[in-house]
Amino acid sequence: MDVAQALGRLMQDSSQVERAVVLDADGSVLGSTLDNAAAGELLAEAARELLAAAGELRPSGDEVTRAEVELSEGALFVLREGGRAIAATTGPKPTAGLVAYDLRTCLHGLGEPEKPKRKRTTRKAKEEAPDR
Amino acid sequence: MRRLFRLVVLAALAVWAWRLLIGRREPQERAGVSYADGSSLVLEPGSPGFERLAAVARPALRQ
Repeated sequence: MDVAQALGRLMQDSSQVERAVVLDADGSVLGSTLDNAAAGELLAEAARELLAAAGELRPSGDEVTRAEVELSEGALFVLREGGRAIAATTGPKPTAGLVAYDLRTCLHGLGEPEKPKRKRTTRKAKEEAPDR
Repeated sequence: MRRLFRLVVLAALAVWAWRLLIGRREPQERAGVSYADGSSLVLEPGSPGFERLAAVARPALRQ
């Protein structure tokens, strides 16, 4: 599944995510739900800064896998896994666990081959099919 | 019986008023960070760490 498809599915599945952007390991933008590239870059910049600031909170230098900030005006989530990262904004009082699950599912979906849709076959159709 | 009913109503009103006036004052803002080693931390408003992360998040939320 490519980035655009994964983000499309995220927006379809999550009722809480308003905007999202996927970042590569080097911090470059791989894809965004925003039409405006500059707005996508702003969100990506916030995600990079948030990961850096969250990393500075721990002197041990362990990699940040998830950072979230919930404010009265909304929330910003950043998840990092397998080198890639995804950042998303929601409205106020999000269900943090659910948003994180949706974002992680989106990240996992990247690079995975899209599952082919199963064709529904009825018993009658099977019976009518010629024997091999 | 009537007294008991009044007591129940008064208790319910007290709980409702408490939740309305006091419960809403609880901070609705927070920040959380998880690390690769499985540890995590929660930052409450007023802490330097929270203010740092909130300062980063605010411009992105106001877009």
